[in-house]
Amino acid sequence: MSGHLLQLKNVTRTFGGITAVNDVSLHVDPGEIVSVIGPNGAGKTTLFNLTSGVMPVSSGRILINGTDLSKVPPHQFVTHGIGRTFQNLALFKHGTVVENLLVGRHWRMKTSVLDAVLHFGRARREEIEARERVEEIIEFLEIEAIRDHVVGTLSYGQQKRVELGRALATDPKILLLDEIVAGMNQEETEDIARFILDIRAELGIAILLIEHDMHLVMDISDRVHALNFGTTLTEGRPEEVRSHPKVIEAYLGARAARGGGSGAVAAAGSGGL
Amino acid sequence: MRSGFFKETIVEHIHLTDSRLQRAWILIGLAVLLTAPLWLNFYGLSLVTLMMITAIGAIGLNILTGWTGLISLGQTAFMVLGAYAYAISTETWGWPPLLGFALAGIVPMLASVLIGIPSLRLTGLYLAITTLASSFIVNHLVLEFDGLTNGSSGIFVNRPVIFGYAFNSDASLFYLVAGFGILAILLSLNLRRSRVGRAFFAIRDNDNAARVMGINLSAWKIYAFMVSSFVVGICGALYGIFLSFVTVDGFPFLLSIEALAILIVGGIGSIAGAVLGAIFLVGLPELLGMVFSFFGPEVQSLLATSAHEVKGVLYGLIIIFFLRLQPHGLMGLWSDLKRAWTIWPLRY
Repeated sequence: MSGHLLQLKNVTRTFGGITAVNDVSLHVDPGEIVSVIGPNGAGKTTLFNLTSGVMPVSSGRILINGTDLSKVPPHQFVTHGIGRTFQNLALFKHGTVVENLLVGRHWRMKTSVLDAVLHFGRARREEIEARERVEEIIEFLEIEAIRDHVVGTLSYGQQKRVELGRALATDPKILLLDEIVAGMNQEETEDIARFILDIRAELGIAILLIEHDMHLVMDISDRVHALNFGTTLTEGRPEEVRSHPKVIEAYLGARAARGGGSGAVAAAGSGGL
Repeated sequence: MRSGFFKETIVEHIHLTDSRLQRAWILIGLAVLLTAPLWLNFYGLSLVTLMMITAIGAIGLNILTGWTGLISLGQTAFMVLGAYAYAISTETWGWPPLLGFALAGIVPMLASVLIGIPSLRLTGLYLAITTLASSFIVNHLVLEFDGLTNGSSGIFVNRPVIFGYAFNSDASLFYLVAGFGILAILLSLNLRRSRVGRAFFAIRDNDNAARVMGINLSAWKIYAFMVSSFVVGICGALYGIFLSFVTVDGFPFLLSIEALAILIVGGIGSIAGAVLGAIFLVGLPELLGMVFSFFGPEVQSLLATSAHEVKGVLYGLIIIFFLRLQPHGLMGLWSDLKRAWTIWPLRY
């Protein structure tokens, strides 16, 4: 039981009378890539918000390496190795790429206001260390050319990549990627897919992915977790989930589920569900 | 045409200056500033001194409003607290001026913790109104505790004597203020390039993402209030020394508006902008006086008799003008010009 890196146990979140996430349990093991799929409004992003501390769970537990996060204040989730990107870019748009990535190093640094004002000793040493790590990430993500650009002036695809970099800069054990390829063209999507696989292979970081791009999900996931109306439909290997009648029903309706089979979801997937 | 300065080490990236050229310009600027008492008359010198004092206050507010995005109309309150802390400690209790300056920073800093608490839940206009109230509360407190503050009659402030040197002449006061000004610029630049400055602007640009990055929003917002009001308190003490007299009337609420106007005019979030804005806004009434004098003595006397009202109207107009036409302020104008100069004769 304790082998899981991230474990959600019967997690529920309600907003007033609406249950956005209902009794969901899932786990991610070290080095795994797990995708969460589901139609719009299925509760995927809420699930991420709960896991990254943006909002508290109504009931259930979230464990990372066996540690219960229910008593952990939101800003300390990152210290337990949870890094994330947001669905609709949440960058610090007036800062440069380097500055954005450096914010990711924030929790690793200890410089106090007094140290910082004098810029001496620890402040200087930490600053140099942080910038060295950030340069490594910039090189890893191949964004050297835009390193000093103000983030707000970059293209959407570039900003997404910067956001991935910022999440990496927090030294996560698990990375939550919320629709990272949404709005990207084929080439950019393939680049990101390659980075995701590299992140796992070279940095040993596990990945939990929310994605509508079915090709990407089927290609790189070890396991897929399907949600609808906040409830788990099924979980399993990509090809199992793709042909699962409940999943097809959720996406295409009951008639398609009876007649269509797995081809229907594949077709729907290429339509960019 | 130069295409840029290339950096080879990490250390070069955290230098405050960009290049040898920039360092040369800074040295020239410093030389011009520090020789000012030699070539400026009495009036000009006191004007530049006032500009520097105002710039220190603007730099302080910039940390809170420019970097952290918390709009404050409490500038006056922190200035009053700083000025009274200095006046009471040095004049009434006979403390040495350096300790007086320390207290002038610490008292507003502690008060800002109280004033900053609403900022944990409020932002934008709601916070502005809350901090606005603090100005009036502080004024009332000063008038109520007249045993300590001398009430509405105020406290006379002597020029400081530091390490046996009396800052009596206007030139020496100028150098004292210049010293504080340079210190404020350097220390805030240091803050900006550190983890602290980045935490502030992260909160301003996206507080949700900032929290996911491990930034404790409550703590850092309060830190922003504390650092900002420390600097503003020092500004208040210097202003008290400049006026030689600390009263509630010497610190009208208009100062809060003026400080915000300075940030908007200079370019919000930029230290250089805060300095430029202060020079611009303090110099503007003088410029206006010159313009008014063209229209004969009656118009000119209007400026003299109702300076306060004219200033209020002026600040309002300036804020509207800049927000409408040049939202990035003088710094935005400067970078546009620089860009146009570098790429001329091409348009982009």
